Amino acid sequence: MASEDIVVGLEIGTSKVCAVVGETRRDGTVKILGVGQAPSRGVRKGEIVDFDTAGKCVREALADAEEKSDVMIRSVFLAVTGGHTESFNNRGSVNIPEDREEICEDDFEDVQAAAREVSIPPANMFLHSILQHYYVDGQDGVLNPVGMMGRKLEADFHIVHGVGTRIKNSVRCVKELDIEVEDVVFAPLAAAQVVLDLNQKNLGALVIDIGGGTTGYVVYVDGAIKQSGCLAVGGDHVTNDISLGLRIPMARAERLKVEEGSVILGQSVPGEVLVLKDETGFAGREIEREMLNTIIHCRIREAFELLKRQTDEANYLPFLGAGVLLTGGCSMLQGIDQLAEEVFGLPVHLTHAHTVSGVTSAFENPQFSTAIGLIKYAQAMQGDKPRGWFSRIRRKLPFFGVW
Amino acid sequence: MIELPRNQLPPQADLRIKILGLGGAGANALDRIQLDGANSDELVAINTDTQALTGSVAPHKVQLGAGLTRGLGAGGDPELGYRAAEESADEIRAAIGHANVVFMCVGLGGGTGSGAAPLVASCARDQEALVVVFATMPFSFEGKRRMSQAEESLATLQQSADVVICFENDRMAESVSPRAPIQEAFSVSDQTISQSVRAISSLLRRRGLLHVGFDEIVTALRQQNPRCLFGYGEAEGDHSAHQALERALKSPLMDRGRMLADVQNVLIQVAGGPQLTLNEVQILMEEFNRHISDTTRVLFGAAIDPQLGNRLAVTILSSLDADGAVHSPVVRGAVSHPAPARHIPAERPAVEEPLRVPDSMDFPPQDLLEEALPAETFSDAELPVPQPERPIVSRPVGAPVRPAPRPTAAEVVAAKRETRQEQMQFEPVTRGRFEKSEPTIVDGQDLDVPTFLRRNVRPK
Ligand SMILES: Nc1ncnc2c1ncn2[C@@H]1O[C@H](COP(=O)(O)OP(=O)(O)OP(=O)(O)O)[C@@H](O)[C@H]1O
Ligand SMILES: Nc1nc2c(ncn2[C@@H]2O[C@H](COP(=O)(O)OP(=O)(O)O)[C@@H](O)[C@H]2O)c(=O)[nH]1
Ligand SMILES: [Mg+2]
Ligand SMILES: [Mg+2]
Repeated sequence: MASEDIVVGLEIGTSKVCAVVGETRRDGTVKILGVGQAPSRGVRKGEIVDFDTAGKCVREALADAEEKSDVMIRSVFLAVTGGHTESFNNRGSVNIPEDREEICEDDFEDVQAAAREVSIPPANMFLHSILQHYYVDGQDGVLNPVGMMGRKLEADFHIVHGVGTRIKNSVRCVKELDIEVEDVVFAPLAAAQVVLDLNQKNLGALVIDIGGGTTGYVVYVDGAIKQSGCLAVGGDHVTNDISLGLRIPMARAERLKVEEGSVILGQSVPGEVLVLKDETGFAGREIEREMLNTIIHCRIREAFELLKRQTDEANYLPFLGAGVLLTGGCSMLQGIDQLAEEVFGLPVHLTHAHTVSGVTSAFENPQFSTAIGLIKYAQAMQGDKPRGWFSRIRRKLPFFGVW
Repeated sequence: MIELPRNQLPPQADLRIKILGLGGAGANALDRIQLDGANSDELVAINTDTQALTGSVAPHKVQLGAGLTRGLGAGGDPELGYRAAEESADEIRAAIGHANVVFMCVGLGGGTGSGAAPLVASCARDQEALVVVFATMPFSFEGKRRMSQAEESLATLQQSADVVICFENDRMAESVSPRAPIQEAFSVSDQTISQSVRAISSLLRRRGLLHVGFDEIVTALRQQNPRCLFGYGEAEGDHSAHQALERALKSPLMDRGRMLADVQNVLIQVAGGPQLTLNEVQILMEEFNRHISDTTRVLFGAAIDPQLGNRLAVTILSSLDADGAVHSPVVRGAVSHPAPARHIPAERPAVEEPLRVPDSMDFPPQDLLEEALPAETFSDAELPVPQPERPIVSRPVGAPVRPAPRPTAAEVVAAKRETRQEQMQFEPVTRGRFEKSEPTIVDGQDLDVPTFLRRNVRPK
């Protein structure tokens, strides 16, 4: 098995570290060889806050993945996220030199570089510049301009950037385990690769990955990424709200959320109570079901409303023909699709990795979308020519070293 | 921006408060409390000294030991004060009546207050009231004898009251110019007492978004030998949250917030008029959190008080254990410049008069230096003041070891609360798990604070 076909995706998530070993095939399919996992500690809101602890969890997850896939892991594609990440769209433009009439490959690099000639905060670094559309001499709808005659090549890019030190933090955490990082990928972009098929991307879709500490989202319109971002609010917030509101410990609140919680209001029998099972100090404690659900509802609704506003402001909502796709662990909350439908006014689907073959049902879990998505991303990169959708950013930035 | 509900819930119907002022100091504190707008129906002056009683604003007056002292005061003798109270125990009980919360203001160190306070506290407790004592410890320049009388009384009070909030005159007067007449120092002390009485009664009375209960107050203040940290600040305008907190931290008993770093529990209440926004509260709490250590438990209350209009008020209450600290006097400069023996006769005349300090009183040069600097110019970097000292009074050798306080207060209240347990009550630290992480701020709102709380959504 050619080693270049084996790809490892690593997500150091807020609730779990997940390493997926996959085989990318020439026919465009992906086979999952194994998924390693470890509960995550030292990560808050998608970012490492306790380096050593998080490092141990990563080691554990990688070891688990090695064992399950029987592959020795030397390098990974690493997902990064956090409230510090930002994105915008920008157009790059280059004039084709006088002595040449045809557009050639070199021009792509230049146009991409031009698109990135915008000021981002000095502490930030680029994560992605993803091609949206080409224009040759101002003309739209060009699929592959190489070889075309033209004086001016323009391209729209979706640019994602984030705070350099924070991104480096994740990278360092992995490198300290003697594992190379082949590329860093904005987590929701990875998740979208596994949640959406080409048709859905063309129809337009909003992917929302609700994890433990973050809610990542990506908007595809006309096959191109138009918007992406991360709201540093996730399932942990739901749990925290429950814990504070009902005055119960976090672990208790987490179980209550997963086992009993729902985002739908007015469905419980009025006055219906849940009796917390016998455990030290909380014997017989009664909790009103409607109160629990209200707490959850408020939090999730707020997150959706914030995302909706973002998408609405950019006026993408009318172009989401494939609707909203929810993934991430928190998308398993009862009734969340119904609430999303209500907020977005669009059809909503709960999704997990289904566009990969060889996946056993054990991996068909929305919590793995990001990590599995990294394999799809890597596959896209492998076959990628410079003008492809995901052109790899040249890491000329000094703090990134060579990898 | 989210606004707190405008419709004020009626005060807890079952809250019946009496504010008792014991002795000369207590009477003066009552005057101040009355001035600050307390409901005068609640005020009761209790004294051995008829003349002082006549001068009091309180509508209810109880003369202690008319037979014993013939209205001439206790002469600085706590024994006499105690026996006078014993003689008038029935009147004391009648004055307390059906109150279920009794605030008692007393200056310890003299005769009436020091002697009668423990007995009055037990009377109140016998009538099932929760008893909160606001006591002052004498200035160190008042002499050893007053100090030890005060200590002894305090130790007994700790056993008979539910909560003793103990202020040290030395600390309270720190903001007062050393040259100022002693009345000024006492008036600062009266003011502090009044503010804290008001703060605690409104903590109990205000039914805000985040209600503070008596057991939380007890928690914040419980120590073996507590010295109270109290801060109160009000402000209005654009930066009211910041300013009110700053003022509260500047309160003389706060040591500009530095002492907060050492406390185990701290209670903070934020109150404002109907316009109070949760956003202001959040800003304030974030700032406040910087002053406390990671392990400090924060008891947090927020309330609407229409009386505040567009002002925002911050109350901070906490306590340190005096026993755990270094035993040294707290008068500024007292170490290098022993305070001259002065001014307050250890034995006071039978008829009380205001304490007076001779104009010739000299103070150490440091004090003058400090006085010359406007307080506002102090920043942490340039503070010329000595290291924060704990507010300490050494305990007399052989002072009785105080048994653990009766748990009844917390229990009683807890039992009462049991019935309304399912009412939304929040751990005061509303950021919970996200306390230490970078806040998620969107549109000026801290999203780590539970949404239902910010939107004030309550399930029926
Ligand atoms: N059955 C369930 N119902 C509701 N919530 C669930 C369920 N299972 C898991 N969750 C929640 O999903 C969240 C974890 O999701 P996920 O594994 O996607 O997050 P993560 O990738 O670790 O975090 P992030 O991407 O935000 O850093 C947790 O908050 C967890 O409580
Ligand atoms: N706050 C305040 N404290 C006072 C005042 N007068 C006296 N004190 C303090 O209270 C202590 C007791 O004095 P006082 O109440 O007059 O004695 P009592 O009436 O015998 O209890 C004194 O040692 C002072 O420290 C006053 O007007 N205000
Ligand atoms: Mg995730
Ligand atoms: Mg007195």
